[in-house]
Parts: sequence; C-alpha cells; structure tokens
Amino acid sequence: MTVVPPAAHADHPLVECHDVARTFGSGIRAVVAVHAATCRVEPGQTVALVGASGSGKSTLLNIMAGLDTPSKGSVTWPAIGDQTSLRPGPVGVVFQTPSLLPPLNVVENVALPLLLAGVNRTDADQLARDSLARLGLAWLAEKLPEELSGGQAQRAAVARVLAGTPQLILADEPTGQLDHAAAAEVMGALLAVTELLGAGLLVSTHDDAIADRLATRWQMTDGRLQTESDTACLR
Amino acid sequence: MLALSWMQGLFAHRRGRLVASSLGVAVALLASIGTFLSTSKATMTSRSVATVTIDWQVEAQPGTDPATVSDALRSTPSVVATAPVGFADTTGLTATTAGVDGTKTTQSTGPGVILGLPADYRTLFPDVIRDLSGATAGVLIAQQTAANLHAGPGDTVTIGRAGLDPVIVRVDGVVDFPQADSLFQQVGAPSASQPQAPPDNVIAMPDTQWHILFDPLTATGADQVRTQVHARLYHALPTDPVAAYDTVVRQAHNLEARLHGGGVVGNNLGATLAGARADALYAQVLFLFLGLPGAILAGLLTAAVASAGAARRRRDQALLRTRGATIAQLTRIAVTEALIVGGIGSALGLLGALAVGRVAFGTVGFGGSLRTAAWWVAAAIVAGLAIAVASIAAPARRDARALTIASARRSVGRARNPRWMRLGLDFWLIAIALAVFWLTGQNGYKLVLAVEGVPTISVSYWAFAGPALLWVGAALLTWRLTNVFLNRGRAPLGALLRPVAGGLADTVAAAMGRQRRLLATGAVLVALTVSFATSTAVFNSTYHRQAAVDAALTNGADVRVTQSPGVVVGPDQGAALATIPGVKSVEAIQHRYAYVGNDLQDLFGVNPTTVVGATKLVDGYFQGGTAVEVMGRLAAQPDALLVSDETVKDYQLSLGDPIKLRLQDGQTKQLVDVTFHYAGVAKEFPTAPHDSFLIANADYIARTTGSNAVGSFLITTSGSSPTDVANRVRNQVGTTAAVTDIGSTQQVIGSSLTAVDLGGLTRVELGFALVLAAASTGLVLWLGLAERRRTFAIAAALGATTRQLGGFVWAEAALITVVGLAAGAIGGWALSAMLVKVLTGVFDPPPDVLTVPWRYLGALVIVALASVAAAAVAALRATRRAPIALLRVT
Repeated sequence: MTVVPPAAHADHPLVECHDVARTFGSGIRAVVAVHAATCRVEPGQTVALVGASGSGKSTLLNIMAGLDTPSKGSVTWPAIGDQTSLRPGPVGVVFQTPSLLPPLNVVENVALPLLLAGVNRTDADQLARDSLARLGLAWLAEKLPEELSGGQAQRAAVARVLAGTPQLILADEPTGQLDHAAAAEVMGALLAVTELLGAGLLVSTHDDAIADRLATRWQMTDGRLQTESDTACLR
Repeated sequence: MLALSWMQGLFAHRRGRLVASSLGVAVALLASIGTFLSTSKATMTSRSVATVTIDWQVEAQPGTDPATVSDALRSTPSVVATAPVGFADTTGLTATTAGVDGTKTTQSTGPGVILGLPADYRTLFPDVIRDLSGATAGVLIAQQTAANLHAGPGDTVTIGRAGLDPVIVRVDGVVDFPQADSLFQQVGAPSASQPQAPPDNVIAMPDTQWHILFDPLTATGADQVRTQVHARLYHALPTDPVAAYDTVVRQAHNLEARLHGGGVVGNNLGATLAGARADALYAQVLFLFLGLPGAILAGLLTAAVASAGAARRRRDQALLRTRGATIAQLTRIAVTEALIVGGIGSALGLLGALAVGRVAFGTVGFGGSLRTAAWWVAAAIVAGLAIAVASIAAPARRDARALTIASARRSVGRARNPRWMRLGLDFWLIAIALAVFWLTGQNGYKLVLAVEGVPTISVSYWAFAGPALLWVGAALLTWRLTNVFLNRGRAPLGALLRPVAGGLADTVAAAMGRQRRLLATGAVLVALTVSFATSTAVFNSTYHRQAAVDAALTNGADVRVTQSPGVVVGPDQGAALATIPGVKSVEAIQHRYAYVGNDLQDLFGVNPTTVVGATKLVDGYFQGGTAVEVMGRLAAQPDALLVSDETVKDYQLSLGDPIKLRLQDGQTKQLVDVTFHYAGVAKEFPTAPHDSFLIANADYIARTTGSNAVGSFLITTSGSSPTDVANRVRNQVGTTAAVTDIGSTQQVIGSSLTAVDLGGLTRVELGFALVLAAASTGLVLWLGLAERRRTFAIAAALGATTRQLGGFVWAEAALITVVGLAAGAIGGWALSAMLVKVLTGVFDPPPDVLTVPWRYLGALVIVALASVAAAAVAALRATRRAPIALLRVT
C-alpha cells in the first residue's frame, strides 16, 4: 500500500472564507469570537494561525473544517466540494486535546476515518499501518491511547490524518500540551505528511517556534484576523 | 472549603442528582417493605383475634365449684364477659320420625355431647352457633346429628344417660357449630397430642333445663358432666403477633396459678395467635426473600450510577493531587459527597415510601406503632447512607490511596481479571447454592417451625443461603461469560454486529471488547433486575394460582349449592339450575357419612364420566394415575372406592381389596353394610375435607342405600362473574340451600398472611421491579454512553455519520439488553423454582408447576427495551448537539 496524494484542483483554493463571523449566545450575553474574517488556503500552502488563547483561532479553524457554521459570511471549499463531503477524506483535523478513541488501539484509531469513508477493513488496516510506519510509529500500533505519551498520541493523530490522504490539514494547537521536543516531533510529522500529500496545512498556535516553521503567518487578535506577509489572506 | 466547592460542582451536574434519585429508590423500597412488615404483622394480630369466637374455655376441675372459676375470671382485668357452659356426655340419641311415605322409623346414634347454655350466651358469644332452621332458642340440634336421626324442629329425641333413665326433649331448631373443633376440644390435653375430633352428635339446650336433666349424673360420680366457663377478652393486644401471643399465654398462666389447679384454660386466642406468629415469621421470611433483594438491587444500581462517573472522578482526583490535594482531603470530599447525596436520597426515598405505603397498604406511616415507624425510618436512612458511602466514598478513597496520578487518568486499561474470577467464586457459589437447596429439601424440612404451646418459634434461615448464593453466583457467572465473550469472541461478535454497525462492526466489537468490564457490569445489573422481577412475579402468580386452587378445592366449583339438612333433592334438580343465565354446567355430588370401622368419614358420590371436566379435577389430587385414569376406574367398576392414603395405611389395603362401609339407608334410616372395592387413593377432592374422605360412584350409592339425594351441586359458569351467578342461583333456590361462590370462599380461607398482605407486598415488589428494570437498562446504558460522549464527539469530528455513531451505541445497547434479558430469564426461572420450593409452607396446596405471568413479563421486557431505546437515542442526540464543546474538554 502506498499513500496516493489526492487529485486537487490546483487552481482552486482549498478553503475560502468571506466575511466570516461567529457569535456565541445572544443579546447582552452575546460573545463575538470571530469578526468578519476573509481568507483562503491554497493547495501546498502552509499557514500558521497565531494568536493568544481565546483570540478565536479554534473557532475559525472549526469553521474552516466544517465542524462549525459561521453566524455571518460564507465559507466554501472550491477545490473539494460542499460541507458534507469534507470528512472523512478531504479535510483532516488534528485537535489540541487527546483525540484518539480510548477503547481502540492505535492502528484501529488510525484506520477509523478510512472505515468511516467506506474503505474495507483489510485495506484500512494496511493503510493505517503504512501511515504509522511512515511516521516511525509502527511499534505503537497495538498500544492503547492511555498507554501513550502526549507526543506519541499527537503523532498517532497525525498518522490518522495521513491515512485519510486529505487535501487540507487543519491542526488546532497540536502542540499546546507538549514539551518542546515532543512539539518539534509532532510539527515535523505534520509537515512531512503535508509535503507527502501536497496538501494545504493550517496550524493554529501561540508558539512562535512552531509558527516559524510554516511559510505563512496569520495573526488573530480578539477575533480579528490579520495577515502578515502574503496575499493569501485579505482583510 | 474545598469540599463545599466540590459539592456545588457536583449538584450542578446531572450525575449527583441521579445518584441521589437512585439511592432514593433503594431507601423507598427498603422503607416500603419495612412498612409492609410492620403493618402486616399488626393486621395479622387483629385479623386473627377477630376470628376467635371464644377466647378462653376454662374448665373447672373435679371438686372445684364453677363459680370459683367465674369469680377468678371476672377479677381478671382483661376479661370482658364470662358464661358457664355445661357439657354432659350422652350414651346415644334416638329419634322416631316419619319417612317420606309416612312410615315411622327409629334412628339411633352413638355417644354425643349435650351442652347447657345460659340465656345470654348467644349474645355474649354470637358466632359460636349458626342457625340453620327452626327456632333460635330452646333445644337446638346439630346439623349432622339431625341428619343422622332424620330429626328436625318439632321432633322428639331421646337422650341416653349413663346409669340413669333416658330423657326426652323436643327439638326447637337445627344449628351448626362452625368452630366445633375448638368448642369441643379436650381442655388441658398435652400440646403434643393429636387433636380430638369433635363429637358427631350434639344437642344444645338452656342451662336450666340442662341442670335438671344432667345434675343427677354428677351424683353417679362419673366424669360424664363438666362445666366450662367461657370468657371473652379485651383485645387491646400488642400489634406484633409474637408479643400478643406471649401476653395472652402469660395471662392464661396467671389465671391458672390463681385457681390453684382448680381450672385449666383452653386458650383459643393463644392458639390462634400461635398461628399468626408463624404467619408473622413467614412475612419476615418473605421480606428477606422478596424485599431485600430489591433493596440490594437498588443499592447496586446506585453504586453503578455513582461508578459510571468513576473514570471522570479519578481524573478529577488526579488533577487535584497534581495541585497538591492530600489523600485525607480527597477522602473528606468523597465522604461529604456521600453523606449529602445519601441524605437527599434518603429523604426522597422516605417520601416515596410514604406514597407507596398509602397506595399499597393503605397506611400513612411506616408501621403499626410510632416505635416501629421510627425504627424503620432510621433503618432506611442508615441503609441509604451506607449505600452512598459504599458506592461513592469507598471507591474514591481506594483510588486515592492505591492509584498513581498517571494511572488514575486512564479509563480503559488492560487490568487483570478480578480475583473472584480467578478463584472461580461464581462456580463455587452456584455449587454451594445447589447443595444447600438439596440439603434443605431433605428430612422433612420446614421453613417456619411454630410448635403449638411452645413459646419460641424458629425459622430455618439456613434455607435462605440457597437462593441468595444462587442469585449472587448467577450474577458473577453472567459477568464472567460476558467478559470472556467480549474479550475472546470479537470475531463472532463482529459478525453478529454487522447488521447494526455495518463496515464498522469489527471496530465496534474491538471497542466493546476493551470496555468489557463496563458492559459486563451493565448486563449483570439488567440480569439481576430481570431475575428479581421474574422470580417475584412467578412466585406471586404461583401463589395466587394455588390460592385459587385452594378456593376451588374448598368450594368445589365457581358456584356451589349445598343442600340444607333434612332437605332431600335428587340429581334432576340440576336441570333447573342449568337454565339459570351464566351457568355452563351443573354437576351433582352426593355427600354422605360412612363408617370405615369405627371411623366416620365423608363419602362423596360422583358421576365419574362427567366430574373430571365439571370440577376441573387435576392429576395432583390422585395417586397412582391421572384424574382421567382414576375416574376411568370408577366408571369401569361400579363398586370401586377411592380412599385416603391414611386409610390405605391404617387398613393395609391393596388394590381390589373389598371394603365394607356402613351407610345410612335412605328409607329405613338405619346403617346398612355396603361392600366396595379399593380402587385408588384420593389426596384432594373438591368440597372434601383435608383429612380422610371416600369417593365412590353416585349410582352405586343410590342403588345400595335407596336414596339418590344430592349433597351439593357444583356449577361452572360460562364466563360470567361467579358472584353474579351465585346471586341468581340464590334467588332461585331460596333458603333451602346454601350458595357460595369461589371469590368469597377465597377470602374466607385466606390466612392473615395470604388474604391481604402478600398482595400488597407483591404489588410493591412488582412495581419497583419495573422501575428498577427501566433504571438498570436505560439509566446504566445512558450513563455509560454519556461518560463517553467525547469519544463519540471525536468520531463525529472525524466524519462519522449519525448512523455510524448509532452502530457503536446500538451495539452496546443490544449486548446489555440481550445478555441481561437472557441471563435474567434463566436466573429468574431457577430462582423461582428454588423460592417456591423453599417457601413451600406459604403454599396450600403446594404447586405442581410454576405459573408464569406472561403479561407482566411482557411488560417488563417492553419497559426494558423502551428504556434502552430512549437512552440510546438521548445519548446520540447529546453527541450530535455539541461535538465541538466536547472536543475541547480533556
């Protein structure tokens, strides 16, 4: 089994947000998490979404992953399709908190998105083991999540993304609970997978060291998105 | 302060409220059955006392003036009324009466008893004598004596006196002595002696007349004349039958001591209370057998609800420990939580028990007296707190002491099998249960032993071990089997789950395999609940079925028409009864008295070709063949005779042996010899007494005695209410016959335990069983799923559809439900069989087979399935509602 990069429409952005806003609650208790953000991620692009805790990074990322719906504005995935076709498959997500299913071992966790996508069990198992092997995690295959360190668990989560061969990888503070060494390993894995797949990558982080490893940096402050250097995101 | 903050957090979450609620169920159940126990004991005393017609019969001993006995009684504070009654033995009675054709015949009887009653006797003791025909005062002849002499009101009877000339009296009325056994008891007989049969021939007359006729007998010096002083007591007795019995017996002993041997007390009230105290013990036994498992189950459920949050609690504890909390602080938090939850749960439970008590037992308190009420309330609260501490504080302290912070954060783990499993405790428990059950069934086992006259009564509590160990053993075995199957049977489980989980079946099976302990515990809780509900329901239905059988045996059929003495009715009268609306069939049964040697027995003449269907004879009534086979023998051989087992032994009978009975001739009223042949043994027969009786062909009896007179007509109704049909029959037959229906008979024969209280207990039990079934299936499943909402949220975030998530949820629901229901049904059946065997003393007659209440069990299954479905749907909805929020929770 080999990992086959998805056939993306190279001239279309993977995700495009236009004046996206997200408000939680209503009336005087309403909290605006994201203010009119407009941005897009192209295939092969790596983006660091930087900001303090509570600045709205995760909310914007969830909207881009199709996990949440904007209160205002629009979000589209021109190179992929509509919101229902994002997961499992074209969009892979890595979460800040442990996201492996406790009752499944590592290889079963990695194979899960494939099974959810309808891949048969034998192929899914093989693809999962290949993904783990590519990230040097084959030896963890039979372990249970609770037997892994935080860094191992996140790298296994990255292997799960790899197995799903997504076009767009969205990672929400993937190193937020890790020490520097483990964080470096996880980022290395993420970048390797992104390169291997030719996918787009967006990583939310408040760690400059992580952000520096990505080509593009977006700044999120109090729900407002700012670009720093390139034209991929317009304000 | 830390504990206070913790409590606020606890009750802000649903689980704290749930634990308190389920604990409330446990307390409610315990308090309810406690209410049952104390209330039923109180009603047992009052109901028993109400049935006694003469509380004490104090017999003046030779040489003692009866007036002395009367004086002693009147000075006894608890005595309300007294009346001296004369008892004189007669050598025999003779009557010359006109037959049907006008021919005068003379009939004689054997020895009998003549009673001398004071004028106010029937006012003071109204239930001793029941009027049947003629006058209610004067010379009253007993029903059977009237039949023997063929005498009625207006006829004269000659009374034989030993050593003196006979005397003649004129009969004014025919009466019945409903409690002849106690009225004519041998006062002062040793308690171990066999009860004495009441005399066959009795005449009662005013004491003035009696003294004139029988005082001269005293002069002959023989013990032909005795005087008893009958006493009625003030019935303000302790509510507990055991205490009431002790009180009455002590009062009787006190009287005997004051009479210095001049009088012996026949303590009818004490004897009745002796029976009630046995019933009270049975109530206690039923509490232990039926009530306690329910309370334990509710406690287990509480523990399960509490432990459903164990993984989260361990993580919280780990967090607190990383912040510096000590084990002592963690323990204090847990104990505080347990006491608050226990207190709230107890309060809820007591409120629930009040409502249950009001509905089921008609009481507004928790017992017969303030003291018992206080005792039960305290016991229920202590039990509630104990359950809370055991299920919340104990595991928390254990975790805090034993687990490392890192391991405390784990929720799945690869733990070893529990020690009991490695030791095979489940197999041992089941083996011991079966051994105990077998042993208790040997050597004339009696669960409750209440010997008459002996103040102490005992319960064979050892017998409890059988069902209790079986219950626990079966639960552990279910846990083991579920655990092993989920661990090693993933391939077949995956195949089984394919219809539910599709392509994810193997993954779901793997996930279930790693959560096998949680799932096995859930399945066991369901199994325990179902087996508890099943065994209680089967016990209840079997009990009611046997009570109906008892009533059917006593009444004979739905409606019974018993001819009055002196009224001669032939079987053709049945045709008139058959025309009454609601009557399906009418079966005529002859009833005669026949002498077997010197023993007078009831003889029933039947039509063997029709009696089987008409009276619903069952095979258990006969020995050596089915009902149809035995009646077939009667049909094939006109002079065939069925006798009791006791008669077979007494007379060393073999099949085909001739038996000569002495029967009264219908024309001459003289006893004539009639030869029958022994054809089988009858243990029970509709309308027959429990002791010895005979069954023969009605045609043969009619031919040999010249009379086809019917004793009673047994009426089967065609679906109409027996009470309504009985009323119509009563309107038709008037006062010539007594008409009884099966419903009223059931009320009359029920003991204090059976008639009222068991109904209330089983209503409560069955109601709680349904609540527990709903809780154990739905609540436990929902809590387990809720605890893993984050897991499902991750799966949803990875792209799982609702249907795919449903695969995980429904697979768990199916496993818990199928294993729980199957294991519960098997366990319930085994427990029912064991309970019915162990509690055999409660049944009269003992059942041949268990009666299965399919409707209740169907409702139980529906409740369980509905609860599971509701829980699964709720869990799925909760998962879909806020996946993002759940993903951010660690």
